[in-house]
Amino acid sequence: MSFSDLLLQQTINGLSLGAMYALLALGFTLVYGILELINFAHFNVFMVGSFIGMWTLQLMGINGQSIVMTGLPLIGTMLIALIVTMVLSGALGVLIERVSLRPLRDVKGPAAMITTIGVSYVLFNIILLTVGADSKNYPNPLPPVQWDIGDAVLRLREVLIWVIAVLLMLGLHFFVQRSKMGKAMRATAQDPEAARMMGVEVDRVIVIAFFLGSALAGAGGLIFGLYYNFTSFIIGFTAGLRAFTAAVLGGIGNVPGAMLGGVIIGLIEAMGGQFIATAWTDVIIFSILVLVLVFRPAGLLGRVAPNKS
Amino acid sequence: MKSRLITRRHTISLASGVAATALFGAHTARSADKSVTVGINLSLTGADAESAKRIEDGAIMAFDEANATGGINGYKIVVTPYDDGSATAGQYDPAQAATNARKMVSNKATVAAIGPQMSGAGKAMAPILSEGNLAIITPSSTNPDITDPKFAAQYRPEGKAIYFRTVATDAFQGPYMANYYADVLHVKTVYILDDSGAYGVGLADAFQGQAEKKGIKILGRDRLDPKAADYTAVLTKIKSLNPDAIYYGGVLQAGVKLAKQAYDIVPKMIKGGGDGVQGPEMLTAVGYPANEGWYATVASPHVTEDAKMADWVKTYKAKFNVDPDDYAVTAYDAATVILAALKQVTSNGKEPTRDAVRDAIQAVKVNTLQGPVSFDANGDLQDKTISVFQIKQDKSIPADDMRQYHYIGIAPSA
Repeated sequence: MSFSDLLLQQTINGLSLGAMYALLALGFTLVYGILELINFAHFNVFMVGSFIGMWTLQLMGINGQSIVMTGLPLIGTMLIALIVTMVLSGALGVLIERVSLRPLRDVKGPAAMITTIGVSYVLFNIILLTVGADSKNYPNPLPPVQWDIGDAVLRLREVLIWVIAVLLMLGLHFFVQRSKMGKAMRATAQDPEAARMMGVEVDRVIVIAFFLGSALAGAGGLIFGLYYNFTSFIIGFTAGLRAFTAAVLGGIGNVPGAMLGGVIIGLIEAMGGQFIATAWTDVIIFSILVLVLVFRPAGLLGRVAPNKS
Repeated sequence: MKSRLITRRHTISLASGVAATALFGAHTARSADKSVTVGINLSLTGADAESAKRIEDGAIMAFDEANATGGINGYKIVVTPYDDGSATAGQYDPAQAATNARKMVSNKATVAAIGPQMSGAGKAMAPILSEGNLAIITPSSTNPDITDPKFAAQYRPEGKAIYFRTVATDAFQGPYMANYYADVLHVKTVYILDDSGAYGVGLADAFQGQAEKKGIKILGRDRLDPKAADYTAVLTKIKSLNPDAIYYGGVLQAGVKLAKQAYDIVPKMIKGGGDGVQGPEMLTAVGYPANEGWYATVASPHVTEDAKMADWVKTYKAKFNVDPDDYAVTAYDAATVILAALKQVTSNGKEPTRDAVRDAIQAVKVNTLQGPVSFDANGDLQDKTISVFQIKQDKSIPADDMRQYHYIGIAPSA
């Protein structure tokens, strides 16, 4: 394997990881942008989403990797799985907000953040106790199509991850920038009280933010399963922590920043594994995070927040 | 033993609330007039739960059989299970293992114990058990440090061996597999991975040492984070180095992901590991074809397919509705050793104290399912056997049947 092929292969690996981190990071950023709340339950909404995707695919009769689909049935199956996963994960996010966070809305201090840690553990243990601790073989109907570029290999599922991630991120970007609800979200993020006075239903904005963030996490969970052909109750922790780092790195509260942060973290992980050692991945990622925050406290694309009440 | 109620009154002021509960629990569980308690500590929560259950079943089977025939010289065996797995860790948790060891020690009725399943747990438990002078027999934890006299100050500060094994150790499992790689598979170059756990690192180190002696070139060594999901970076690196084989020291939490991704990136490379990759998840979660060709070793003789074991296997399966694996056998053997020691102590009319039981275990010479068992001064088995297995898809049996691991033979000892 020549050096350039190796570099290309690790870039492909890193971008796939980055796409997943970016989808997850968006959820952190959306909620933080509006509530200034770090939602740690997000870690495990991602994990539950991966299981919802698995069950949806299994309900459609797909088990393991033995059933391979092509053409329209494949697109249909994927679309159904993606939509069901996103809607149910989104609903889970809304439920979490409704049950555990809304009652704490006006409580000052870290109560809400601590609550999200609690919720995260509740989700984690529900899955552990109901489906068990063993890793699951993920149902995957994708045909094993791949293209050789020199010695590097590009697989269909990598392309699929990128396409789904980019489409979802573009969709979110346009929703936030162009739609009426998006405008209300941006207004709430800037100044909730003023937004309320201007007739924005802040509660509704918050619910939408939770729905969208959690739906993206669910999509991330489904993609995770399809990419690695595996899921387990424990996947939320590392992926969630790295995605959270990505959100902070890019500038928490900033949507393009989350995408950029995700891609950077993914590439660091791949290149670090190649040129340093996998054992050092976390050290490298968090060192870079610290360095960026020392010199740019608001993150790469973040701005120091405008005057907030 | 008769004075136990008084003892309890004395200790209750010293014991923590948790320990007192354990103590009380053991008393209410006592049904016969005379009984002794044996603790069993395994990783019943998390990634190793399935193997833990098989091990627990093996030990319980032996104790049930003894109790059914009236116990040992009138003493019934009461089993107290402990779980060192935790949801947060997703596998064994050394902190929980240490807590369990303290519970065992503070329960005065406990005269011996079986476990732990995992070496990381064993390292946490051994010093506490040494201070409590409580002998434990592990059916599956294979990290050599725990019984190595070099580390005696750390793992048996009180001096006497308390950590016995009915399996061989990674000091043999790793090197014998290196011999197998060199002599049987003719591997010239290898890349070594571990999963950062006590077991995995030790096994990989032991393999590496012998592989170098055998003239195998080590192209690299890296460490996997078992909680991370993506190993494509290191596997791509391995692909670019193109070694003949990969050796993985570790358990299945990382192993499942490694096997799946290795199949995608380096499908044709020889891949193998220790007993950590010999487990049901390799068949269920990794699945065919990704698991095809993986080598695994077990640090005990492979006897479950022996013709003379057929009755035992049938009884086990009827009782627990699952096939026994080799560590169910070593667990049964560990229980057999404890029963033999109890018998030896009580036959002389002595009280089965911890001290007496430990000494009897140390001196034991007993015929078990795997053959005659006796221990050296450190608690290690006298006879060490490493069995090699390979996964080869056999369509005539279910894909998740442990017989998909085909027994190949014994790994060369030199």
